[in-house]
Amino acid sequence: MIASLLPSISPGTLLAGGVTATAASLWMLLPRGRSGRAERSSRWLGGLLGLAALAAFIALGRRLGSVGEDTIFLVVALVAVVSGAATVVSRSPVYAAIWFAMALAGVSGVLLVLGGQFLGVATIVVYAGAILVMFLFVLMLAQPAGLAPYDRVSNEPLLAAVAGAVLLGILSLSIGRLAADPASCCAVPATKAALLATDPGAGPNGPGTVDLLAADHVARLGGELFGRHLLAVEVAGVLLLVALVGSIAIVSRGAADDEATDSRRATP
Amino acid sequence: MNVVTPAPLVVDGLLVGAILFALGLVGLLARRNLIVMFLCAELMLQGISVSLVAWSRHHGDWGGHVLVIFVLTVAACEAAVALVFVLQAFARTGRLDSAAWQSLREANLPRIVDRELPATDAVPPRFPRLTPAGVAPATDEDALLEREQV
Repeated sequence: MIASLLPSISPGTLLAGGVTATAASLWMLLPRGRSGRAERSSRWLGGLLGLAALAAFIALGRRLGSVGEDTIFLVVALVAVVSGAATVVSRSPVYAAIWFAMALAGVSGVLLVLGGQFLGVATIVVYAGAILVMFLFVLMLAQPAGLAPYDRVSNEPLLAAVAGAVLLGILSLSIGRLAADPASCCAVPATKAALLATDPGAGPNGPGTVDLLAADHVARLGGELFGRHLLAVEVAGVLLLVALVGSIAIVSRGAADDEATDSRRATP
Repeated sequence: MNVVTPAPLVVDGLLVGAILFALGLVGLLARRNLIVMFLCAELMLQGISVSLVAWSRHHGDWGGHVLVIFVLTVAACEAAVALVFVLQAFARTGRLDSAAWQSLREANLPRIVDRELPATDAVPPRFPRLTPAGVAPATDEDALLEREQV
């Protein structure tokens, strides 16, 4: 295990090193419109730095959580994170879409390990099966042959990489703080705790909780969705209908505009 | 006060969600291809979903799961409308470039000017060639004529 090789480094050092390595690696990996040889060497170096950042975050997760104990979680999380990074830095948008499918597979594995059985399957079916295929259709319709110049450059790659790494550092800091000091996030007021203690259907996490890993997980989720959140489901249905009608309206109006332009050109 | 310490797995889930969100943010800020920008926004949504499910596990209720179902719904709507916009933008400019719409930028921001890019020395892809096998059949003129009449 890479993480066990770094037992004596403090979490603060790990976090600072991980954030710096993340920023440098993303900056080197992002397309910056350089010649082939400089681009390739920069990608190698960026990949190595990315591995270092991953090792730092694995070690950090080992301090805070259980990374390394749950091998399946480690594997699916690595698949999700590495494929997500590849989505961001791929030059060709088609490769980016395919890497995103791989990231979706990793994310659905993470959701499964975290107890979201229905969501893990739904992510694959809805995202990879429908949304991603739609992206690929549009890419095939609109992508010019070869690598376009705007795929070979980025807007402010250094600033973007630093912004992302700083955000990641802040989020990791607050996650680390709530792992070390649960009272800062996870305290329930005494009155509510007393109310919850009388709850007869308490799950394994204590009073007031439900058993997310029960055998009839999907049935319970459906009961919650169509019971407590019925109005939201109706609103979501209306939203889907509006999106459908709206996209058809935009397409047909665009086509009408084009025809009007053509006829104006034809009759001077 | 009733304090529940987050399980180690919950903390790991939050970390993975944070990493995915930050990666998506970097891509959304830096990339210029409209479709890649939308893919990165979807990556940020995935990070949010992982965090929500982790919190759901911590609190032991269905709220996070239900929210992720609505995130999926809204992502489907968003993808449909966004891809229509992207197609319209492509039909107008012939590019999937966000800088093609830079006249919409803030007034005090400088204009993005593309510099001349160095040539790539990328090797064009080589596809396998099948060796021709057998003999080309002799063309039957009568059969060709008959076929045209059908």
